[in-house]
Amino acid sequence: MSPAPIMQHIRDGIMVVNTETIAGKVITQNLGVVGGSTVRAKHVGKDIFAGLKNIVGGELKAYTELLEESRTEAIARMVADAAARGANAIVNVRFATSSVAGGASELFAYGTAVTVE
Amino acid sequence: MRPTGARARTPIASLLLSVLLFSGVAMAQAAEARSEDSPFIMLCCLGPLLLISLGFAVFGILWAVFYPIMFLYGVIFSESNLNRMMSDLVLRERASIDHFGKDPLSTLKGGHIVGGIKETGLVYANVVYSPSHWQLLIAWINQLFGGRIDVLHRVISAGRAEAKQRLREQAQAAGWDDVLNVRIDTAEMTPASKPKGTRAVEVFAYGTGIKFG
Repeated sequence: MSPAPIMQHIRDGIMVVNTETIAGKVITQNLGVVGGSTVRAKHVGKDIFAGLKNIVGGELKAYTELLEESRTEAIARMVADAAARGANAIVNVRFATSSVAGGASELFAYGTAVTVE
Repeated sequence: MRPTGARARTPIASLLLSVLLFSGVAMAQAAEARSEDSPFIMLCCLGPLLLISLGFAVFGILWAVFYPIMFLYGVIFSESNLNRMMSDLVLRERASIDHFGKDPLSTLKGGHIVGGIKETGLVYANVVYSPSHWQLLIAWINQLFGGRIDVLHRVISAGRAEAKQRLREQAQAAGWDDVLNVRIDTAEMTPASKPKGTRAVEVFAYGTGIKFG
């Protein structure tokens, strides 16, 4: 739970927002849809522990952590994709989640790479 | 970006596989050879397999002992834990509303903002929340009669409120003044093909943080 991923994007010089425009800037070029995805799993021990915690109920911290990490990685890949196309912003970012198998999940982040001025 | 655990995972997995493979091959050889020291060889090859099955047996026994205890814990405490979490959330929500001067989250797209915006960026927060097995049992009984299933509704709204509050805290930590275009996604952790897995929902909230210029 740290703002580190946001700082990462600023360092890459790419603005990532989920609004359709960036306030105060004009979109000059549309570079297409960029996306990044990742499939990750926790090791069996964490899965077993999450299963045990499930009996009692409440937050499953191992899975929260897993999805947080995966999403950060998916966003980083999306940003790398946009950087490769020479974009300086990604607008209208969406997320999609699907679970491939129990405990493993696919996280997908996508958006439109644009250049703004 | 990659945690150190990911690098260690592949060698460990291959080591385990090679041990299994080795024991399999050695077993086959021992079965062919039938030499005098075969009990020793058999022990060597069966060792890993025995250890693994022993592990399963121990796990099964522990499961049989601890499951009722944990279930009972859930029966007694899951309601009060949920209530305590909700009252905690109210306090945290009040603290961040005090910090921002209002509720920072909105689903507006920013057209209403009069002044300039200096900076924007993505904010996101997630939580995986699960009902206890006791609550699932109550829900199952409720399902037989149909109608409103209050217990699951409360668990999911607690998870959603937690995700929203985390989004507020993230925005606060990153120094945003406001969060626009907030979306809240809910995904099931358990795939439909594996209905007996961990029962949990993931709530993921994201939005665009802005700083007024």
